[in-house]
Amino acid sequence: MIIQLISNGIIAGCIYALIATGFTVIYRTVKFFHFAHGIIYVTGAYIAYTFFILLQINPFISFILSIALAALLGIVIDRFVYSLLRKHKTSNLVFLLASFGVFIFLQNLIQIIFGAQILTLGTGPIKEGHHLWGAVITNNQILIIVSSLVLFIICWLFIQKTKFGKAIRAVADDPTGARIVGINSEKIIMIAFAVGSALAGAAGILISLDTNIEPAIGFNAILKGIIASIIGGIGSIPGALLGGLFLGLVENLGIWKIQAGWKDAIAFGILIIFLLFRPSGIMGFKSEKEKI
Amino acid sequence: MALLTVQNITKEFDGIRALDNLSFEVEEKSIVALIGPNGSGKTTFFNIATGFMDEDKGKIFFKSREITLFKPYKIARLGIGRTFQNIRLFPQISVLDNVMLAFKYEKGEVFSAALLQTKKMKEEDKTNQKKAEELLKFVGLIDKKDNLGEQLSHGQRKLLELARALALDPELLLLDEPTAGLFPEMKELMLDHIRTLKNKGKAILFIEHDMHSVMSVADKIIVLNHGKKIAEGTPEEIKANKEVQIAYLGKSNL
Amino acid sequence: MEYLAHIIIIAGIYTILSLSLNLIVGYTGLAALGHIAFATVGAYASSLLALNLGISPWIGLLIGAIMASILGAIVAYPALRLKGDYLALATFGLGVIVYSVAKNWVSLTRGPMGLPGIPSFSLFGLEFNNVWTYLVLVLIFVSITYFAIRNITKSPFGRILTGIREDEIATEAMGKNIIKHKLIVFMVGAFFAGIAGSLYAHYITFIDPSSFTAMESITVLLMVVFGGLASLPGSVVGAMVLVIFPELLRFLGLPSSVAAPLRQMIYGLLLVVLMIYRPKGLIGKYKFK
Repeated sequence: MIIQLISNGIIAGCIYALIATGFTVIYRTVKFFHFAHGIIYVTGAYIAYTFFILLQINPFISFILSIALAALLGIVIDRFVYSLLRKHKTSNLVFLLASFGVFIFLQNLIQIIFGAQILTLGTGPIKEGHHLWGAVITNNQILIIVSSLVLFIICWLFIQKTKFGKAIRAVADDPTGARIVGINSEKIIMIAFAVGSALAGAAGILISLDTNIEPAIGFNAILKGIIASIIGGIGSIPGALLGGLFLGLVENLGIWKIQAGWKDAIAFGILIIFLLFRPSGIMGFKSEKEKI
Repeated sequence: MALLTVQNITKEFDGIRALDNLSFEVEEKSIVALIGPNGSGKTTFFNIATGFMDEDKGKIFFKSREITLFKPYKIARLGIGRTFQNIRLFPQISVLDNVMLAFKYEKGEVFSAALLQTKKMKEEDKTNQKKAEELLKFVGLIDKKDNLGEQLSHGQRKLLELARALALDPELLLLDEPTAGLFPEMKELMLDHIRTLKNKGKAILFIEHDMHSVMSVADKIIVLNHGKKIAEGTPEEIKANKEVQIAYLGKSNL
Repeated sequence: MEYLAHIIIIAGIYTILSLSLNLIVGYTGLAALGHIAFATVGAYASSLLALNLGISPWIGLLIGAIMASILGAIVAYPALRLKGDYLALATFGLGVIVYSVAKNWVSLTRGPMGLPGIPSFSLFGLEFNNVWTYLVLVLIFVSITYFAIRNITKSPFGRILTGIREDEIATEAMGKNIIKHKLIVFMVGAFFAGIAGSLYAHYITFIDPSSFTAMESITVLLMVVFGGLASLPGSVVGAMVLVIFPELLRFLGLPSSVAAPLRQMIYGLLLVVLMIYRPKGLIGKYKFK
């Protein structure tokens, strides 16, 4: 029984980690909470649904196209909303509220287009899962875990090893210095949004292989993503992975004793505790002391 | 018995000693300058003295009362007013309101009095408004009393900060770089105000980089370097002090 | 005509919410994003007391408001340590937690099944169970709320709240007890929000968690921002416009499956546009810094 819960925890954790990683890549670059990240997660799922189910396009191509479009949506949001805010000196709070606005707008747009009913990406009869150490795990779930790890490794390599990744880190740590050495921070921000949104979109697609989707799932997803990011240390990419897995496990093991409906409350409770007492998370960076 | 007594204040940040066993006194009705190269711990000391930061070791006494552990608002109420290096005004409210906020309100600050808009509260507010206007006249900002804080020039903001600190009716004023960024005429005006305040019975401890200002106004100068007090004395004594000259090598215009 | 009165009642209830939130967010500058939680407490406390213990709705209203006020004191604690977007997130989280309690503590709140049959107010034999009497009741409470909050803000106490918003450190350096003031402001804001919740409950006579979602908090915040931070008339206008305008959508003959999300889309778009082009709102004098 507990193995099953751990398995479920890891699967949920992978999804959370993907969302959190994408969120963190963006956060490190722009330093505000991009709440609309959650709706990109949803959009990824619905775009995949459109290609794969409605248009009957090959699954692999659907996947790639969907991720690309999710990345594009992230860029569009940045261009049309955030970049305009960056022009005046705007506080993080204003960015957050604008992000809420984008989220609400897009979630309801999806609802109008696709309706509020539940959809699924799965086709054919439900396959029997594999039995492993007393737990059941389906092919799709294995796919989720493997894909997540692959995506995470690709993202990590991108940030650590490529020119763009280095530029992202430069812009994140010192925007003025980065500009002095000729890095175009607007372009870098765009890339960060593309990468982060691609991960969110991928997470949405993967989860829809396993469960049903509806427009409202984005809310929960981004909350978990933010919570996982903060637990792992806001700004730390390995932290996002750890935070996501931690959150997935705690939620699922916690269910054992507590009713499922309390998941959100527990997650938020953990978040608030971290915000109040350990804002740098498990692995994160210390925030600057306020100058008096 | 000195107005302010600082005893062995020590403060460390990430292994660096921002303040190292700092001790000195400020007498009533005197003007004391706190000088030293950048990073020598001056503003850190102000923050500790006014309760915004905790010291690691040491004590501070104000009028013989230990204030080391007091919260900032309590210290302010005891009679220590301060200004800030980076000017902390209330930008989106009027200049008059900026000053009025600092007054003690026996009645008006009580929630129930505010809710019920008692007569006593209104009278108190009127009295304080007159007092605020007096202070604005003193610093020369009375014409700007209805302007918003953010509409003031740099020099005017400094004057407003001074007026606001005076609203506390403090016996001791801690001024953090009061003449920084001011044109020469404004500098003289500010120094004039400081002299006047001393004559009115106040003590002033101020941080400064401009040696001319320091020399022309201070009764006593305390020199910090790397958090340590390296000299203390009258302007003449400090001018002649070799260690001070070394600390300021290349930067002095003594 | 009855329909119009109904809309104004709902707008009035939202007005109480937006006025009380404006005190916290607009005047004191605290980014509180979970305001609906206070209304939830007021609504459920008042309803449960009436249904389970037969307590008069008037008393229930008061007790509900006091309980909301206690929650306000709890919510004030993060406001002492967090700022800006971090505070927004934390208060949003507290709102979600309260919603979860309403939804999952089924033995107390009946969860998603809700509480039906909530009794209405009555005074000397007059039942406030029709649109016209309730309209008068709500307008009285809106007036009380308006004048109470106006008095608070137009006073030295109010000046301190503004100081906290403009520069907390400077305000403290001027001898003001920041902690005490933040605490009071949250408790007062929560108190009135609790009243709004009770008014809602005893009007609709049925409540369930779906009326008190986290997104509702965003809607109330939108009303405050739209009308203008620290502008009480702004909060009234904001609430009225944002309640009445979507009702006009109905007359376009759209099916409700489109009208409802369309209304939300407009809210979302409005929030974005406000943040980019007019953060001071309609008649506000301040903006988030």
